[in-house]
Amino acid sequence: MSVSTVQPPAPGPAPVSDETARPETRRERRKRERLEEQESTIPVELYGLRRGTVSLLTTLAFLFAIFTLVPIAWIVINSTKTQANIFETFGFWFASPFSFFHNFSLLFQNVDGYGTYIQWFGNTALYAVIGGGGATVLSAFAGYGFSRFSFRSSKVLFYLTLGALLVPITALTLPLYLTYAKAHLINSIWGMILPSMISPVGIYLMKVYTDISVPRELIDAARIDGGGEARIFFRVALPLMVPGLMTVLLISVVAVWNNYFLPLLIFNVNTKYPLTVGLGLWSERAQNSGNAQLFPMVVIGGLVTIVPLIALFLLLQRYWRGGLLLGSIAN
Amino acid sequence: MSAVTATQGTGTATGTGTGRRRRSAWIQRRDRRGIWFVVPFLVGFVLFMIVPLVYAIYTSLYTTKIIGGTVFSGASNYTQTLQSSQFWSGVVRVIIYAAIQIPVMLAIAFFFACVFDLGVAKFGRTFRTIFFIPFAVPAVVGAVMWSFLLEPQFGPMVHLANAFGFSGTNFFSPSLILPSIIVIVIWEWTGYNMVILYTALKSVPRDVVEAAILDDTPLWRIILRIKLPLVRPAIVLLVFLNTIGALQLFTEPLILSYFETGSVSVNYTPTLYLYNTAIAADQTNLAAAGAVILGLVIVVISTASLLFRRRRGEFR
Repeated sequence: MSVSTVQPPAPGPAPVSDETARPETRRERRKRERLEEQESTIPVELYGLRRGTVSLLTTLAFLFAIFTLVPIAWIVINSTKTQANIFETFGFWFASPFSFFHNFSLLFQNVDGYGTYIQWFGNTALYAVIGGGGATVLSAFAGYGFSRFSFRSSKVLFYLTLGALLVPITALTLPLYLTYAKAHLINSIWGMILPSMISPVGIYLMKVYTDISVPRELIDAARIDGGGEARIFFRVALPLMVPGLMTVLLISVVAVWNNYFLPLLIFNVNTKYPLTVGLGLWSERAQNSGNAQLFPMVVIGGLVTIVPLIALFLLLQRYWRGGLLLGSIAN
Repeated sequence: MSAVTATQGTGTATGTGTGRRRRSAWIQRRDRRGIWFVVPFLVGFVLFMIVPLVYAIYTSLYTTKIIGGTVFSGASNYTQTLQSSQFWSGVVRVIIYAAIQIPVMLAIAFFFACVFDLGVAKFGRTFRTIFFIPFAVPAVVGAVMWSFLLEPQFGPMVHLANAFGFSGTNFFSPSLILPSIIVIVIWEWTGYNMVILYTALKSVPRDVVEAAILDDTPLWRIILRIKLPLVRPAIVLLVFLNTIGALQLFTEPLILSYFETGSVSVNYTPTLYLYNTAIAADQTNLAAAGAVILGLVIVVISTASLLFRRRRGEFR
């Protein structure tokens, strides 16, 4: 085969993986992790603790767990109540009538002219997916660039990026708002999405992750084989960076999902609002404009806002941990 | 120096010299292409961070008047902000808030991180997962949930306080609003800090701890004398991150003020002051100056706390 010929993708069936190469199932991974944890932990008996210490500490942990779960239990229970019952019945138990489905249906209506929840949900998803996805793509490129190349002033540029972590969000967001006001970008969804794509934390995490997980030798070997830089990035480096990218994706999506200050400043029509700003507006109106019928909607709206995030977190726990680990290594 | 070594020295030097020069030309050509990986980010970085910052500084030097339009006013916005007791009362308040909230939260987080790391409580995995859940809850929703719980007329926590004999407790009163905010933020962030400390503790070498056990060292001493110093870098990082966060306190007091008008003043924190100056009072030039000052104050405080902790760590 001549050098100039582009190699076609290997035809035929995928190679049969042998027993050792088989990816482990979720149950196997859990079992292995538990075993590893047991092995790395020193047996409790060796500490020479007084009797009852374990029970006492377990109780303390249990109390803090209750503290953690109290607001979530409250919001679940009260999402099933009518407006009157939210205020008049015991907060931590159910009351009839069961009004969950009625409350839920209100999320699809524009009850008081302040906006429709489902639209805010769609906006949030849009901002989070495009903004978070964009942040991940840019972090993958830039993290790899900073990690595996030393071009002119690459060090300076990287430290400049890190320096941006020092500048408080407030001192960045307010100027952004002033700039938008000047450039007539108020109420533009791109004013929300594009800044969300610029994630110094993501760049930093991907740089550190690439340092650890993409061997320099592998990249050099691929270069000697004559691969272009873009090709090497997509074919060799990117597959090795996937776990780190998952972490950055999660962090960025959640950051956009939870963002309040920027959308609060730059949007003044409720059709553009994300969930955070919408729910804030409803709480304010419910209390101060006599729109008390908004209270059950704030409650169920809050519940529907946190459910996808908690699910995302529980399903992808190990990627969270990976990211936090990176953060602590770096110090 | 003998002739032999000299010759050898020169020989080696020349060898590596040419080698390095030849390699470095190749590497340089290759490395120059690396900038294309960074350019997309850099463009966004300049457009959405550098340009707004520069524009804010520019704006802060002007004043818009009803009669006469926008005129250059030099540092007058800065002096006005710096002389404003409203701005400084907010700064002092968030410093007090940070000085209480961060140590309390880190103590709780470190305590549970140790407990789970040592395995001296049952169901450690489950507890760790539960503690981390609030991290996935947006601050707005967290503050809304707690506002309902603490609400003076109907909030279940008020009933609870009454049941325990504290009748007439008002969590939104001037004396209790700051503690309420501290509880909310501790609820939101303890799990996150705990998980980072737990990860750091896991990397403490096992044999060090085993040696201490063989010496009959009590457990609390192992924790304070071996584990704590070894995870100091992680604690420094957390102090730093939490300080930056604490000084920008905004969402929680704003949401609480929605539930109880007047419980939180318009200048309760510096960020609230800036928000109200820019939006409600429409004094954008003044707000720009405030943003620049706040940015500088936070950069100075967080850098100083970082350096201070580092130094103390080195001298111990």
